[in-house]
Amino acid sequence: MSFVQVGGTIGSMIDTSSRIRLSHFQGMLVFAVMISVAFGFLSRRRPMDRVKYIAWSLFLFLVIGIGIGWAMYPFSR
Amino acid sequence: MDEVTGNEAVSSEVRAEVPAQAGPHPGGERAAYVAQKKPSGREALALAIAVAGWLVPGLGHALLRMWGRAVACFITVGVLVVLGAGMRGNIFSSGGGDAFDTLGYVADLGAGGFYFVARSIEKFGADVSHANGDYGTRFLATAGILNLLAALHAFEAARGHKA
Repeated sequence: MSFVQVGGTIGSMIDTSSRIRLSHFQGMLVFAVMISVAFGFLSRRRPMDRVKYIAWSLFLFLVIGIGIGWAMYPFSR
Repeated sequence: MDEVTGNEAVSSEVRAEVPAQAGPHPGGERAAYVAQKKPSGREALALAIAVAGWLVPGLGHALLRMWGRAVACFITVGVLVVLGAGMRGNIFSSGGGDAFDTLGYVADLGAGGFYFVARSIEKFGADVSHANGDYGTRFLATAGILNLLAALHAFEAARGHKA
């Protein structure tokens, strides 16, 4: 990815009306990562347990989120 | 980064006061030290730690020398607040018109000092006419609830409960 492409990507995320713009998937991904990391650190003590918890929690967040999204598809029009 | 193995970081002053029979504890020596105090003093100290953790995300765990959890709380709450405010989410204020506004205010206020950081970032006010603004509102509320949960976790750890 060239600097122009990187600049274009960042530029599309930032404009004057809404400084940070995330797509639906990006928003869900950021939310899932942050919650998974926080819960992983708070609920587990050993590093390996934390990694497993975070990975599993993130996986479930994404699978269930995308699943619910597709489940709503027939009713979207 | 694992706070359980970071006993060497405990100061000599605290180490001297920790009873020898304290043994391994989920929160490390500092949490064991707090747990060994008199019940009234322990509760007050635990409450102070919880309030500190609420005011500055991660500070409660940092005072208990749970460094990993402290950093995780600070970063996750901070990222959610910065993104939420940057996406022009709704930051509720005390003068809400209905119960939902009040609930939103309580959730946002859960971020402690970061509530004011969010207000300073969002100079142009909320814009929930787009999905981004709506997501930002959820990010801000999530940051507050997450910080309250972390403060409660620090409170329980300081009281000597398994955490």
